Amino acid sequence: MSEQTQASATPCAWLHYARPRPHWYLVPEAEKAALKSAWAAVAKAAQDAGAVHQGCFHIRGQHDFETVDIWMFASSQAAYGHWQALVEARYPEYFAFSNGIGLELPGAGDA
Amino acid sequence: MSALTGDTDVFSAETGGTSRACIVFTGTRQDDLPGIYGRTEHDAVMAVLAELAAEGWVLNQRRVFDPEAENVPVALDTGFTHAHDIAGVFEAPDLDAALQGTIRLEQAGWARLFRTEWMIGLREFAPVFGKGAHADHGWAFMALWEWNDQWGEASRAERDEYDLECDIAFKGDLAHEVNISGRMRLDIAHGWHHLGYWEISGPDVADSAIRGHEEVADFKFTTSRHIVGRIRPLAELAAPRHDDRKASHV
Repeated sequence: MSEQTQASATPCAWLHYARPRPHWYLVPEAEKAALKSAWAAVAKAAQDAGAVHQGCFHIRGQHDFETVDIWMFASSQAAYGHWQALVEARYPEYFAFSNGIGLELPGAGDA
Repeated sequence: MSALTGDTDVFSAETGGTSRACIVFTGTRQDDLPGIYGRTEHDAVMAVLAELAAEGWVLNQRRVFDPEAENVPVALDTGFTHAHDIAGVFEAPDLDAALQGTIRLEQAGWARLFRTEWMIGLREFAPVFGKGAHADHGWAFMALWEWNDQWGEASRAERDEYDLECDIAFKGDLAHEVNISGRMRLDIAHGWHHLGYWEISGPDVADSAIRGHEEVADFKFTTSRHIVGRIRPLAELAAPRHDDRKASHV
């Protein structure tokens, strides 16, 4: 099964929409800095493992969320691994989110 | 696979190796005009479902309770109470297979028939059988939910206490002869965090069971969306409204 899984692995986009939950604004600065540092370490570990972070974009002007992060991972399982590391670092307790995964559409942009 | 919360009296983590992926969907028919979806597309969609079954997909949640049950693709007929016409749950060997399978279905003709919300995630908790006769129920109830801001703000102790309160309600569900096919986590690729899928004998059972959840204040920490429907074969739910001959005149 694992060989089959690896053979079928396809680069996977991961879209992460987020906004701070209200109590984030009440967290003391030192605690905030420690949390942000832990989350940055998760992002760096993903990039060290080959993931590409296209950027974090501000979308509050036309969306329920504040930012969208766009990532490319080697597979959807790798995207899951990144998200799970953020969950373990308590990120979703402080930020509301909506995530999405997607595969590149063959032929898109050929026209 | 890591569960989002620990085991409770009712629920325990799936055992074994890599978690299976789940594909939750709601679909709204959009084939009002002839020429959009006909017998050709219907047959192609059914062929892809047969391929997916051969590749290890579970297309019928009855199989989660009874491995001997036939893997006939089914979904909930939901048009009578919801804005969407169908809803359902499939399971795939892994996340990549799940994502690619949805694209194969869409390209075979599913995209012509349904405007679909696909929610892809992982199985988290093992199935739980209700008390009494475990008959094959003809209805299903799906609960999507997310932990809200109040849950995020609560202490670990408050959350643990809340989980135990909810367990009281889940035990009540089992007393309603509800079979719960475990719990799926959807947070990796959606705004909903979880899905629960129940086999029930009718919509009244869902209503009665949910009152039990309200009594223990289940919804103080969660926002949820509930879906009820009669289980029917997908071959029927995805039957064409127009034949291919009419389509050729459009």
